[in-house]
Amino acid sequence: MAGSKLRSKLRSKLRVGLMPTPPNQPAGVELPNKPVATFRWVSTALALTLVLWSVLKIDAKWSRLIDAPGDMWTLCTVMFSSMEANKIGGLLGKMWESIAIAWLGTLIAALFAVPLSFLAAENLVGRPIAWVTRQIFNVLRAIPEIILALAFIPIFGLKPMAGVLAIGVGSVGTLGKLFYEIIEGINKGPVEAADAVGASRLQRLRWGVLPQVTPEITSFLLYRFEVNIRASAVLGLVGAGGIGSALAQALSFKDFGTAGLGLIIVVLGTIAVDTISGAARRRIVAGSPRIVKPDLNDPTQSETRVDVFRGN
Amino acid sequence: MIRFSNASVTYPNGVSAMKDLDLEIADGEFVVIVGLSGAGKSTLIRAVNGLVPLTSGELNVNGHDVHALNRAGLRDLRSDIGMIFQGFNLVDRTTVLKNVLMGRLHEVPTWRTLIGKYPQADIDIAARALARVEIIEKTYTRASDLSGGQRQRVGIARALAQDPSIILADEPVASLDPPTSHVVMRYLQQICRELGITTIVNLHFLDLATTYADRIIGLRDGVLVFDGPGSECDDTVFESIYGRSLTADDTMTKHGAL
Amino acid sequence: MTTLDDAPPPVLPAKPGVSTFAVGGALIAAALTIVTARSVGFSLSEIITNFTRKNSPAEGLLHPDWGQIWSRRSRTAFIETLQLAVIGTAIGATSALPLALWSTTFGNPNRWLRMLVRSCNNVIRSIPDLLWALLFVTAVGIGALSGLLALFFFSLAVTTKLTSDTLDGIDMGPIEAANASGASLTQMLRTAVVPQILPSYTSFVLYNFELNLRASAVLGLVGAGGIGQRIEFFRGAGRWEELWGLVFMFFLVVFIVERISVTLRRRLI
Repeated sequence: MAGSKLRSKLRSKLRVGLMPTPPNQPAGVELPNKPVATFRWVSTALALTLVLWSVLKIDAKWSRLIDAPGDMWTLCTVMFSSMEANKIGGLLGKMWESIAIAWLGTLIAALFAVPLSFLAAENLVGRPIAWVTRQIFNVLRAIPEIILALAFIPIFGLKPMAGVLAIGVGSVGTLGKLFYEIIEGINKGPVEAADAVGASRLQRLRWGVLPQVTPEITSFLLYRFEVNIRASAVLGLVGAGGIGSALAQALSFKDFGTAGLGLIIVVLGTIAVDTISGAARRRIVAGSPRIVKPDLNDPTQSETRVDVFRGN
Repeated sequence: MIRFSNASVTYPNGVSAMKDLDLEIADGEFVVIVGLSGAGKSTLIRAVNGLVPLTSGELNVNGHDVHALNRAGLRDLRSDIGMIFQGFNLVDRTTVLKNVLMGRLHEVPTWRTLIGKYPQADIDIAARALARVEIIEKTYTRASDLSGGQRQRVGIARALAQDPSIILADEPVASLDPPTSHVVMRYLQQICRELGITTIVNLHFLDLATTYADRIIGLRDGVLVFDGPGSECDDTVFESIYGRSLTADDTMTKHGAL
Repeated sequence: MTTLDDAPPPVLPAKPGVSTFAVGGALIAAALTIVTARSVGFSLSEIITNFTRKNSPAEGLLHPDWGQIWSRRSRTAFIETLQLAVIGTAIGATSALPLALWSTTFGNPNRWLRMLVRSCNNVIRSIPDLLWALLFVTAVGIGALSGLLALFFFSLAVTTKLTSDTLDGIDMGPIEAANASGASLTQMLRTAVVPQILPSYTSFVLYNFELNLRASAVLGLVGAGGIGQRIEFFRGAGRWEELWGLVFMFFLVVFIVERISVTLRRRLI
């Protein structure tokens, strides 16, 4: 092995290694007994069994797996070669509709989730009330928005409103859970201080709780907005408005060019929203941007840490 | 043997951390480098195993021109050089044994490291290394459950497990209390003397330097300003190395008394 | 001296202005709300009228058919959904680890390759699960295979992002130590990086499984297998009671699985 050759060249002949020759060998060095990690073994075994059972029992036409990459490639070439520029305007409008649905849905969810989350925080209302509210959140969280959309469409028709409400109702659960966890994690200090000066419950909320939680809540709202963009694109696939419906339509009419265009617009639009929202979130949580320079006078900091893994 | 010839290191940000260094360290020497932070101690040590490349000049380690080595060659060189860090650099979540076995990585085929089954011969080497620093009873303890001194001993064991000809120690005791610092320095000294491993240690406590070093090298602003036995070093010498008068922070005993 | 002097009060230092970011942000948010409400045709009165009107989904909601759990077809669909989630998570989430490692500076020193991997990750992440399913159904055909492929990409998206974020915050020390001892890139990643993130990563895989379970339920809506196909069947036939029965039964199971998963995850971190 190349390593050994170089190393034997490097090593000085007079150097004594760690392993002296047999006559000088110290009494056998014995390691203590190795502990057995039962939980790890059992759970890995269970997981593997589950996977094996699923693979063997699933009713999937595995033979088609070989053709799948080829089929996907064909679809992509067809989609992206027959795109028409005149469709861009309409599709952008539909993407905007999806963004609008996601935004409004998130806002409505926030409107209901924020007050409800106060009712779910044990440090504010006590155990029984908190428990009930939390279960409501869990139920709402469990139902995917698309099923809600399926239910709302017969009520509201094939219109964006169905999507807005589906997202709104669905997000109340997730947002509520996130919010109450934030509220429970707050520093008790300001709350105690508010109590000490004789503030009412509402005032305590406003001055003790709110200032601590507002940045995190806003950040989570934005994150949920990013997630809901994807949800609203998907809701369109069952007809609740937005770019999803344009895509589903195009594919069913075999209008692959428009479908390809729509796909690109979905990807670009989602990435755009993610980037803007992500930047806004970082700014909110971190405060104003600061450029941090490495401190060369700090004896604990190695000047060369940055270069350790570059190219070597 | 390590030889710097007219070696210089300038970082991309313009900082010149090594200026025309001429230095030769023979096999089996125990060398301590002293100097203020930013004087270039870390740079010098990391140049030896190629973690910091030279900007100009030559560096010859055990007969090899470090600059001329490619990536594989650098890895081979590094496998023969053990390194000990101020922050210990252990994987906190895994056991002491797994940490020490990291010293055998260069010799063990990749597929074995991927599944975590090391050959018995390498485990034996790790066991000997652990015995040498007297921490073998902690073999299966998580690294995060150890004290600072114990962690550094694991760090030394990891370096020893490489079966190296050179050991580099970058401020190995800066995070430790005085009694533990002496323990660690004594281990390093013993290893150097019994196994003939060339040892280079960065220290910023001057009394430790004079207690343990055969040879002291003083750096100031990247320039070598002193090279001689520990016996020649008194406070005046140190003051000229530091370029300022000494404070209580510069000696461990006085610092510990604070 | 008391605080309630007769002398004029001391002058306070100049008040710092309200953050432009906060004001700007609030204005944009408000404007966005108004514009979007108009585009969507938001009308509170319409919502109330529609909700209170007599309609079948709401009625079905009040009398869900709990017998769905006993239906043989529904049970087969249940199991298929579970299997889809398991396989999708197994293949997708495990592939996410190398992909995430490949997108870091220390795991991929080649700048262009790294950018390529990161861009691919971004694109994969921006396509929702159902859309993947639709694409695969179009290309490969109806059935569980399309669902599997869709979940594979969806799992990649979710787990890679979470793992990348964790990798951004790991301790570089062991990495330096491994490189200093002459280890190869793969060995370094395996011994210095992976042990640091393994608990978090396992937690992400479990989380991914929860998401996949939910996703696989609806994949059938576009024909990619699972109970989604049954849901679509009931919806088309207007049989809302059975639809809600199925939905509730399924999500009861999901809820139980989630509870177990949360307890497991807590044990890891």
